[in-house]
Amino acid sequence: MSVPGDCGPPLLRAQGISRRFPGVLALDNVDFDVSPGEVHALVGENGAGKSTLINIMAGVYQPSAGTLEVKGRRMVLPNPASAQQAGINVIFQEFSLIPDLSVAENIFLNREATRGLRIDWDTMHRRTAEVCRLLQIELDPKVAVRELPVAQQQLVEIARALAFDAQVVVMDEPTAALSEVEIDRLLQLVRSLADRGVAVVYVSHKLGEVFGVADRITVLRDGKRILTEPRSALTEEQVVSAMVGRELVHTECPPRTPGKVVLAVRGLGSGKAVRNVSFELRAGEVLGLAGLMGSGCTAAVETLFGLRPMTSGEVMLSGKALLMHGPRAAIRAGIGYVPEDRKRAGILPDLSILHNITIGVLERIRRLAVIDAKKEQSIMDEYGGKLSIRYSSPAQRAANLSGGNQQKVILARALAENCQVLLLAEPTRGVDVGAKAEIYSLIDMLVESGIAVLLQSSELPELIRLADRCLVFSSGEPRGELVRGELTQPAVMALATGLANGQAELKLLRRDPLGQEAA
Amino acid sequence: MTRLSNVWSRLFRSYSIGLAVLIVIAVLAFLTPDFLRVDNLLNVLANASIVGIVGLGMTLAIASGMFDLSVGATAAFAGCIAMSLVPDYGILLGVIGGLIAGAVVGLSNGVIITELRVPAFIATMAMMTIVRGITLIYTDGKDLYLYGNPAYKVLTRRLFDTVPMPVIIVLALLAILSLVVTQTRFGRHVLAVGSNLPAAKRSGVRTSLVIWGVFTIVGVTAAMTGMIVSAQVLTANARLNFGLELQAIAVVVIGGTALTGGRVNLVGTLLGAVLVAAINNGLNLLNVPIFYQEVTVGVLLLAALAINVGHGFNPLTYLRRQS
Repeated sequence: MSVPGDCGPPLLRAQGISRRFPGVLALDNVDFDVSPGEVHALVGENGAGKSTLINIMAGVYQPSAGTLEVKGRRMVLPNPASAQQAGINVIFQEFSLIPDLSVAENIFLNREATRGLRIDWDTMHRRTAEVCRLLQIELDPKVAVRELPVAQQQLVEIARALAFDAQVVVMDEPTAALSEVEIDRLLQLVRSLADRGVAVVYVSHKLGEVFGVADRITVLRDGKRILTEPRSALTEEQVVSAMVGRELVHTECPPRTPGKVVLAVRGLGSGKAVRNVSFELRAGEVLGLAGLMGSGCTAAVETLFGLRPMTSGEVMLSGKALLMHGPRAAIRAGIGYVPEDRKRAGILPDLSILHNITIGVLERIRRLAVIDAKKEQSIMDEYGGKLSIRYSSPAQRAANLSGGNQQKVILARALAENCQVLLLAEPTRGVDVGAKAEIYSLIDMLVESGIAVLLQSSELPELIRLADRCLVFSSGEPRGELVRGELTQPAVMALATGLANGQAELKLLRRDPLGQEAA
Repeated sequence: MTRLSNVWSRLFRSYSIGLAVLIVIAVLAFLTPDFLRVDNLLNVLANASIVGIVGLGMTLAIASGMFDLSVGATAAFAGCIAMSLVPDYGILLGVIGGLIAGAVVGLSNGVIITELRVPAFIATMAMMTIVRGITLIYTDGKDLYLYGNPAYKVLTRRLFDTVPMPVIIVLALLAILSLVVTQTRFGRHVLAVGSNLPAAKRSGVRTSLVIWGVFTIVGVTAAMTGMIVSAQVLTANARLNFGLELQAIAVVVIGGTALTGGRVNLVGTLLGAVLVAAINNGLNLLNVPIFYQEVTVGVLLLAALAINVGHGFNPLTYLRRQS
């Protein structure tokens, strides 16, 4: 593993970069450099200026001030093609692959090997195989990219960068769509790219990964560079407070006093996806649901909200059997739901914040056919205030809010429906570190007020922070229950994978930066 | 960056249609003095209203993220039903019959879309052919006339001998639909469905009912337009209102309602209808052959779409594709 300092002169150096957009200074005099063989992580909250900086390195944006040097030579990158010629390859979060073309066609797009007018398939397939061997990945050059899982598509992007002889590879949130195991492999690959002498810029807000893979870390906040230090000189806490601009109070879970049973589930099942789910949930309690992708914990939550047909079992809410007729029936019975995929199934982007919050309760606040604007506003004031949603006006479109604030709007919507039971699926996915801490305290507050929470999360630290008890799922069924104190990563993984403790720990290296270093 | 360009494009889109109407009126007034004559202007407004009525219905469909391609056929169908009823049952029952016919076709569209899970585009395209066929069967392919029955003329009469009836109808409809969209639960639900259907469902919105409601309204507005058109020519047949669906969609788009759904601009739709009617009228006065009018509307539609789609225009992806 390379050590910062012996990486030689920077391959890419940005000096004094500023970028002004009308009304906003997105980057303010930022210095950044990356050397061959180095992984330099760029972190910061949304809006910190990370993407603007990447786009300047990619030739998409032009800096308003400052210079770029590649191998010590001043360069102007007027467009993405010139950045590629200079050896800089950016892998954007949103892939630029063509789904219907094969792996080889994508890798050699626009630079196809030809023999006369005809494409030289043999050469293209051979060279694709070579690149894959170099990366130690397995990809069939002839298969259409559409057929590949997301993780493999990402590998195609990387292979393409390498086939371009990229000397600098910039990766923008590369693990956003990947599962645990795939993330491990990706990080290994990033490391091996660096060992091969490539300069890697790794953009992420997941600190676990950053500390696992980076040699140096640069933190941006509000368009300014806050710090650049070797990873070994930093702690996660330091990086977090640099990102948020204040000491983040690491709140502990407050003591809970569960009341009477609100939700009793017996033998719940939904086809093959969910089987034999039984539990009792008390008022003022958080029950966690953990499991790997496809383990059934997400499906169990969806079944409870009526999004999947319930094929067996019974659900009692406050002693009354619940008829599963779909989301509307669930809401009326007192179940609130914050869906996993905020963009696809949660937010109403074109509607105002006000209308987003009240969409489920219009029935209650109408006079004859007309909505009572005063009552509507008072609901907004009550829940918007309770959840401290930040907005410029209630008429602001929800699409323009940050992820954390959107999530609060959806929480407010569920609360406005007067729910007794709140189903939370991945409540902090894609939100900033600061907003995450805030959402945790909000959940604490709601639980304190007597709401029963069912929390499905793929982030173990989140479950450990919030849940009193946790059901661990594997292949559709709960495999065991862990109470606070027993709730540790190895224990959860052992149940989730069905492996003995020792083996499970191997898969968890990613979560532990020290473990990554030892690996 | 994107936020700011959003502000600009929103400003531009809010006022561009009104501005376009003013410019077109000014240019036509300059080119042909006849254009500004009161009865010519009233004529323009009457024509704009006829398309505007079904355009208002179509605006709701587009705001809910859908389309209705069957409105031309529905208009012809309702026109024939009404005209066949008037001689025996009188004007009131005739008109009610026509409205019911439109509502039934619209509701069928909605049910087909939600229950058979056919995309609106395909469902209403099929309905277009089916309804034209049914109308042909109903009329036996012949024209229906209403000579000597002045009652039907109520739909084209002028209030106080000046304001054409369609203008009154479209303004009343505008008032009602504006109220529905801004003040009622149904209106809010329409926008929620258009903005994000899965999210609306998870918020407890009965999305199927909303879609049925929207298409029923579209069907009723199509019937209104159809009856007015046949009252104007005192004829009804299965071939009337050919291409009305495209005119209706065009005025909605020209009026600035986003094709992506979730937002609505009813006034814009009417201004769009006025713009198209004014241009067509002006070209008539200038003795431009009618074929050119089709081209003009098409070009106008493209221009409106270019501005409208610019809403989702992302300079980043655009540049990346360019490279």
